[in-house]
Amino acid sequence: MTEASVPRPTSSRARWAVPAVVAVAVTGAFLAPPLLASADESVLPDVTPGQLVTTIAAAEPVPLSGTVVYTARLGLPEIPLAEMTGADPIALLGGSSTLRVWTDGAERSRVALLGSASEYSVVQDGAEAWTYSSSDDAVVHYTLSAADQARFDALADDARAGTLPEVAGGLPTPDEAARAALAQVEQYSTVAMGDQTTVAGRDAYQLVVTPKDASTLIGKVVVAIDAETSTPLRVQTWSSTDSSSPALEIGFTDVAFTTPDDAVLAFSAPAGAAVKDVVVPLPEMTGAEPETAPGTLPEGVSITGTGWETVTTWSGLDVASLIAGDPAALATVPGAELTIGSESAQDLIEEFMPSDGSGSPSIPTLDTSVLYDQLTTAVPEGRLLSSTLLSVLVTDDGRVLVGAVPAETLRAMA
Amino acid sequence: MSHADVLADGSADAAELRPSSTPVRGAWGRLVRSELRLVFGRRRNQALLAGLAAVPLLLGLVLFVTRDSALAGQGPGFVGRVTGNGLFLVVAALIMCLPFLLPLTIGIATGEAIAGEASSGTLRYLLAVPVSRTRLLAVKAVATMTFVAAAVLAIGLVALAVGAAFFGLTDVTLLSGTTIPLADGVLRVAGVAAYVTLSLTGLVAVGLFFSTLTEVPVGAMAATVIVAIVSAVLDTLPQLAAIHPALLTHHWLDFAEFLRVEVDWGVLSSGMAVQAAWVAIFGSLAWSRFVTADVSS
Amino acid sequence: MTASGTRSSSVPRDRLRPAGSTEPAGADVELDASDVTALAVRTEGLTKRFRSGQLAVDGIGLRVPRGSVYGFLGPNGSGKTTTIRMLLGLVRPTSGVAWLLGEPMPDGAGHVLPRVGALVEGPAFHPYLGGRANLARLDASDATADPRTARRRSDEALERVGLTAAASKPYRQYSLGMKQRLGLAAALLRPRELLVLDEPTNGLDPQGTREVRLLIRELADAGTTVLVSSHLLTEIEQVCTHLGIMGRGKLLVQGERQVLTERGVARVTVTTAGEQVGAAAEVLTGLGLAEVLADGVTLHALLGATAPEEVSAAIVNAGLDLVGLQVRRPSLEELFVELTGEGFDVAR
Ligand SMILES: Nc1ncnc2c1ncn2[C@@H]1O[C@H](COP(=O)(O)OP(=O)(O)O)[C@@H](O)[C@H]1O
Ligand SMILES: [Mg+2]
Repeated sequence: MTEASVPRPTSSRARWAVPAVVAVAVTGAFLAPPLLASADESVLPDVTPGQLVTTIAAAEPVPLSGTVVYTARLGLPEIPLAEMTGADPIALLGGSSTLRVWTDGAERSRVALLGSASEYSVVQDGAEAWTYSSSDDAVVHYTLSAADQARFDALADDARAGTLPEVAGGLPTPDEAARAALAQVEQYSTVAMGDQTTVAGRDAYQLVVTPKDASTLIGKVVVAIDAETSTPLRVQTWSSTDSSSPALEIGFTDVAFTTPDDAVLAFSAPAGAAVKDVVVPLPEMTGAEPETAPGTLPEGVSITGTGWETVTTWSGLDVASLIAGDPAALATVPGAELTIGSESAQDLIEEFMPSDGSGSPSIPTLDTSVLYDQLTTAVPEGRLLSSTLLSVLVTDDGRVLVGAVPAETLRAMA
Repeated sequence: MSHADVLADGSADAAELRPSSTPVRGAWGRLVRSELRLVFGRRRNQALLAGLAAVPLLLGLVLFVTRDSALAGQGPGFVGRVTGNGLFLVVAALIMCLPFLLPLTIGIATGEAIAGEASSGTLRYLLAVPVSRTRLLAVKAVATMTFVAAAVLAIGLVALAVGAAFFGLTDVTLLSGTTIPLADGVLRVAGVAAYVTLSLTGLVAVGLFFSTLTEVPVGAMAATVIVAIVSAVLDTLPQLAAIHPALLTHHWLDFAEFLRVEVDWGVLSSGMAVQAAWVAIFGSLAWSRFVTADVSS
Repeated sequence: MTASGTRSSSVPRDRLRPAGSTEPAGADVELDASDVTALAVRTEGLTKRFRSGQLAVDGIGLRVPRGSVYGFLGPNGSGKTTTIRMLLGLVRPTSGVAWLLGEPMPDGAGHVLPRVGALVEGPAFHPYLGGRANLARLDASDATADPRTARRRSDEALERVGLTAAASKPYRQYSLGMKQRLGLAAALLRPRELLVLDEPTNGLDPQGTREVRLLIRELADAGTTVLVSSHLLTEIEQVCTHLGIMGRGKLLVQGERQVLTERGVARVTVTTAGEQVGAAAEVLTGLGLAEVLADGVTLHALLGATAPEEVSAAIVNAGLDLVGLQVRRPSLEELFVELTGEGFDVAR
């Protein structure tokens, strides 16, 4: 030991400089990496939106594993959903959620929504899918009916032989989503290149899709595309009412383009878990966009407007049973999906969303009528849910109007 | 002046009397052992360890008694899983102790470390021995951390024994729904305990800093517990989302990473990095305060 | 050492009755090697102002020669303990410097303190540990102590203070006197060059006080320097070779006990024939005596450095009748009361 550690009258002040220096160094160490990353000059060759779209179209889906952070700033009332439910898809309504994604780039994937000490997993293997919720130790196993399975296998065989044009609908892939995005929006939007950026440590191009129409709540959609693999790395949806931060943001914070471990992609129901089997129909492979084809609209659904300002109206709905969480009723409401007004951006988001195979989120386990009251406000026409991207008006006579338009537009239509 | 001068000046007798001023080898280890004997030899601390070890025992008993009733399989966190696999009693017991009992243990141990010695007056005699203040603070930190590790270990071992006795040990179903062999499960649960222990280092540093500020050990203890509770409360406020990752308690539950299909070491190491930051800042604060403080008790 | 340190060392001197004669040689000159080795404790302008604003120690310049038993006296609250804390590096001086065994404090604490045994403001030990276990704990903290001899040394120290029988008893169950003895044992764990004992007789019965005095004498005889503080002069006066008296944070006087008692403030009372008082007063003044006062046929004066024989001879030589001459030396007790003003009351 040395006497240097005994206080000296002269160095009393100097001693307090030590924690000050340590604090600065520690703060610097935590803040510096993001700053350095953002200061990093991208040196990617310039491309035009058209070239980028072509590259995306030509790119093969790649195996990857990574961490995705999803942040919603929808302007909804603050409800600590994650604390109430653990890892549950409903937590995606507000705040920030962390997802972990693994895919072999073909037909097997796993997406896990992480809660503190809980997890909600969606494992997909070809036409089969499982969801597992650690909170209630429950498995839901989705399969095709025998007939559909045979049809799926045939399609898959054809795909391997290279003769099948495309398997759409339930199994979206990144290149498909990106292609759909641009094809759909060109008519109503301007597409431009944004600044080159870095997402999860990877250089990326940014594609900015801006609605031509000013009356929608959507300000712009920014898609970051990995320069090397053409995989979408981040989608930001900006509201026209808030230009400081994106209303919805989903992007990788960490990604590795390696084939995941087989143990990760495999799933078998754990012993003792409650297992529910659900047989889902295989979607018909007709039009690319069945919902928007006017002839196929279901009973009671009408569509007003075009493009970004489309408003969908359901009439004669049993709102009460919906709120009570009746799954049958819920499944008929596309608004329960994360609709952000444009099919394109929605498709992209679905890339990252825990999709349980049928497209509808799992049934919330919390008291949904309380949640309904908390999320909506009373207006003369009924009850209104108003967020930065989407408005929903439930009228007292049982109609539901949904659109990426200001609340006033819906109320005027009601 | 040199030592030789003194010796030359003094008589042969004085030279004989004069003790050596050179440190003996192994002195550091001797002091640490003495400190550990002091901490673990103290009745109150032994009672504290016993009390913590009683938590998994009580929890196991309650779950065992109610396992065939309607209440079976219910409860927060991992409590519902315990009846299926006794190994989860370790995790459930740690989760139960994490918000209050373990911070309280840290508060008591750190409050005793400096403020306790100051209030009983033994600090002035240690410093007059002399022990360098830096060395004393380091030894106190090591001993406190050892005690905290012993507390976590006591909870874990008792939980393992009680869980095995009441519910048996079987293959482990992870949060991701994947089932792994029991041996791997035990390793992962050991990882949980290790992570929990290391997660408490930041609070130990904060507690030691408080302990250097006062001569009232109870005050230091209360302040330490309050820091843990306030941190947990702040962590639930969405308005403060920006500072959440830096909070002392924010990453405490990240031990769940050990129970997912693929352990993300990045998450665990960022939790450790936050603790290291708290240790660096509050450790240096405690050091600055302690080496400059007047010991006037 | 700074010039200001030297200057402030003379601060107490304006209050010193027996002038600079009690100061050790060289106090006013720059520190030289012989000074350092000759003094076990030396301070210059040592000052402590607590954060409360309390000026506990006010620029004192202690001189404790090696081999001496230095009685550090002063009423309660006069700053003795605070001074001792600064000497041991427990409290940082507001200004001023201190040397212990020739090394500056607190920088040299690691080197010096192993050679210094200390009892500061009463004993303090872990109540649930026995006497021997408490000593073992202190010895384990000493990086320079040999662990192989630890047990023997602690047993010897316990033996020396008469605690062998109670060595395993928890400290909690000790009487006040036993606690004080254990404190002394801790100070004696290793051979020491300097012992700093703050009120070692506190709480001891007369028998215990006597034992402590014996112990101090024994240690001093073996060559150990002892700095012992007390607010009770009589308890330690007899063993001291040197004295320093504190009052309100200042060192009022210090020096060899002999010098303080003999050349201190001795007064002479001269009685002459009635009409010769005026002439006798002139003789005394002529001898250099101060405060010459007439009171009837008697004269009072401070004797100072003048020998009583010189006074009688001068009066007789002047052809005056010397009816009576009395020299009265105040006891240390009176000196103490006189210097500290309020005697044994708490100063502040
Ligand atoms: N920690 C402290 N803070 C403020 N004042 C103090 C402190 N310690 C002592 N004092 C004051 O300093 C003065 C000297 O105290 P002390 O050195 O203990 O005297 P002594 O030992 O001579 O009785 C007293 O007036 C006391 O009240
Ligand atoms: Mg005192």
